Amino acid sequence: MIARHELYCITYPAIIQGHPFCIDFLDKEAMANLPNLTVEQIEHVLGNVSGVRYIARGGQKVVWSGVIDGTTYAIKFASTPEEFTREEDDDTEVEADPEVIVRASREVETMRDCASPYMVKLGPIGLNFVEIEGQSLLYFTEEFINGSDLRSLLESDGPLAPDAIIDMGIQMTDAIKALWELGKIHRDIKPGNIMRRTSGDFVLLDAGLAFDVIGESLSGGFLVGTRIYFSPEQFDYSNRRTGLDFRSDIFALGVTMYEMATGRHPFWNRGHSSQAFYSNVTSLAPEPPSSIVEGFPQDLDNIIIRMLGKSPHLRYRKCDHLTRALEAIRGH
Amino acid sequence: MAIYVQHGHGKSDKITNALDDKSASGVIFAARNEKVDKLDRYITTLRENYECDLLFDPQFYVSTLIPANDRYLPDEYRYYEAGRTAKDFIGARKIASYVNDTINFQTERGFDRIMSPTVIANGFSDRWSQIALQLADSSIEYHSSLTDATPLLVSLVLSEGALDSRSDLDAFLDILTSWDVHGYYITVVRDDATYSQSFYEDRLAHLLYMVYILADRNEFEVVCGYSDFIGIPLRAAGASAFATGWYQSLRQFHQKAFLKRKNGGQPPRLRYSSSPLLNSIMLGELESISDAGYLDQVLSDVDLDSIITDATSPESSAWTSQISDRHHWQTLAKLDQDLSGPVRRNIMGLIADVRQATGLYATLKAAGVPFERNTDGQHLFDWLAGLQTFIRIAAL
Repeated sequence: MIARHELYCITYPAIIQGHPFCIDFLDKEAMANLPNLTVEQIEHVLGNVSGVRYIARGGQKVVWSGVIDGTTYAIKFASTPEEFTREEDDDTEVEADPEVIVRASREVETMRDCASPYMVKLGPIGLNFVEIEGQSLLYFTEEFINGSDLRSLLESDGPLAPDAIIDMGIQMTDAIKALWELGKIHRDIKPGNIMRRTSGDFVLLDAGLAFDVIGESLSGGFLVGTRIYFSPEQFDYSNRRTGLDFRSDIFALGVTMYEMATGRHPFWNRGHSSQAFYSNVTSLAPEPPSSIVEGFPQDLDNIIIRMLGKSPHLRYRKCDHLTRALEAIRGH
Repeated sequence: MAIYVQHGHGKSDKITNALDDKSASGVIFAARNEKVDKLDRYITTLRENYECDLLFDPQFYVSTLIPANDRYLPDEYRYYEAGRTAKDFIGARKIASYVNDTINFQTERGFDRIMSPTVIANGFSDRWSQIALQLADSSIEYHSSLTDATPLLVSLVLSEGALDSRSDLDAFLDILTSWDVHGYYITVVRDDATYSQSFYEDRLAHLLYMVYILADRNEFEVVCGYSDFIGIPLRAAGASAFATGWYQSLRQFHQKAFLKRKNGGQPPRLRYSSSPLLNSIMLGELESISDAGYLDQVLSDVDLDSIITDATSPESSAWTSQISDRHHWQTLAKLDQDLSGPVRRNIMGLIADVRQATGLYATLKAAGVPFERNTDGQHLFDWLAGLQTFIRIAAL
C-alpha cells in the first residue's frame, strides 16, 4: 500500500478533517453517485491503458492512475445524469449541459490552455463520455504528479520552511497569472489543491471551479469553492459577476501560505460558527505569522498579510508585483 | 520635487519663471485657455528651452456644464462639443469616438503623458460616475491599441462630496486598481468657492487614502491637479506630482470657474505664502506679523524672501502679484523637498510641521496679529485630524 501523502490525491481535505463550512459546497448528490468501476472495466473502456490503480474519491470524481504509451496519468471518472445523452451530430437545439459536465469541460479546457508549468496538465485523453453497465460517465486524463498535497504535508511534516513558502508563492502566482491571462479565476486555491512534486516544485490542481469572468456563471449565483478560503468579496453576491478578479485567488493563496507557515488558518478555528468565520474574514486583522513562528521573516510576513487584505485594492494589482516582492526576499 | 504649473488664462511669463526658478518641473496645459496654434508654438518653445514634463488637460468635462465658460474649446478643439447631456454618452461607438479624438489630439503633440477624457462625477455610483468609468475604460482600450504612445493617465474629476463614503471609495478603488494603466490624474471639485486650505477632515483622509492606495500600494503614477497647499499632504501620501497655478481658480478647482457669469470682481490682493504657517496669507497680515516682531519665524526661507527682507517692511517692499506667484511655487517646492521618503515618514514629518504651524499661529494671535477667516490657520486642525485618520485607515 502506498502512503496516502505520496499519492496523487484529489482530496477534499477539509471534509476529511471535519471543516464544517465545506460540506455545503460540495455536490452531495454527486458524492452519493460516484462511479463504481473495476480495473477491468477501465482497461476495457480506455483500450490502450495498463497498470490501472485506484487513487482516491473526491466530491464529484473518482481518480485512478494508469499507464498510457509508457507514461503514467491520472484518470478521472464522474457520473453524468442518467437522462443526459450527448448527441454530437445533433443540429437541433439542446438543453444546457448539467453542471458536472460543464465543470469537467472547464477543467479540461483550463488544463489544456493554461500556459503555466505550475498548473496541472491535461493528459492524452480529453473529455469523453461512456456508458458502463448502466452508468453514464464522463472521463478524462491528466498529468500524474509524484508528490504530496500540501494538506497532507502539513499533517505529516508540519509547516513549510520560509524559502519553500516563497517558492510555492512564486509558482502559484505564475499559475494564477496564466489563468487570468485566459480570463479565468481558479476559485479553489487551498492546501489540498496544491501538490509538491518530489522535485520540490509545486503544482496547482483542480480547475473544475475555474470561473470565466466573461463567460457564463458556473454557479448560477450560488457560492462555490471552499468557503474558508473565500476572499471577503466572494461573499458579496452583488460583487460576484462584476467585481471578482485574480485578486480573489491571491487572497486564497495568502490563506494557504499563512497555513503552510504557521499550521493555522488565519480566520478559522475548529468550533467557529459560520457567522464568526464570516466576521473574521471580513474584518479581523490576522495575527502576523512571525508572532506565531519564531524567527519567521518579517518581509514574508508583510507580503502574506498584504495578500490577505480585505479589499482587492489592498493586495497586489499585478501578479508580477507579487512575484517581484517574493523574489526580492528569496534567500534572505 | 514634482510640482506642475496648472496653466490657465494669462500665462505671460509665469510658466517660464517657475521653470527658471526650478520650483516647477512641468506644465499641465488647459485647453480652454489657449488657441491650438499658440499652444503648439508654446510647446515648441518649452521643448527647445527646458527639460520639463508637458501634459495637457483636455477639459472634456466642461462640455457637460451649462452654460459653460468654455472660451476656445468649441472652436479650437475637435473633441469638444458644448452642452453634452447624459444622452450623448449612450452607446459604445459614441464614447469611443470622444476618446479617440481626445487622445489623438494629444498623441499628435507628443505630450509626456496622455490624459483621458472624463466628466465630473458627484459620487462613485451615480450616472455620471458610470460615464466617467466608461470613458476611462474606453481610453485604456484605445490607448493600448496605439504604438509608441506616451503613457496614459486616466482622468478623474470628483466632487468633494464623493469622498464622504469610505465603502463607496473602497469599491471604486477596487475598480481603479484592476485597470492596466500607467496612472491617474485626479482633480477634486471643491465645494466652497473661496480660496482656503481648509478641507473636511474625513474627506481629506479619504482623498489621502485614495492617493496612497493608487500610488504607493498599487504603484500607479498619480498626478493631482488644482491642488495647491493640499498637494503637500497628497505628495506625502505618495502622489508623483501636484499642480497649482497663478490665479486662485487655478489653485483649487471650482465648478463656478467653468460656468458663464457676469464679468467683474475685484483685483486680487497681494499674498505671501508661508511654509512655516502652511498657508498663503495676506501681505497686510505679514505686515502685522512683522510689526509684532515675528517676521523671521514666518518667512519661507526661499530666494524671493529677499524682496521682503531688503525692504523696511513687507508692505513697503517691491512685492507684486507676479513675484507673489513665483514665491508661491518656491514655497511649495521647499515644502515638497522633504517628501521623498516612505509614506509613513512623510506623514509623520508633516504632522510635526502642522503642529509647529498651529503653535506659531497661536503665538502670533497671542501677540495681537489679526487674521482673516480663510487665513487664520483653522485648516491646520482639519489637516491634523485628516492626517491622523488617514494613518488609522491606511494602517500605517
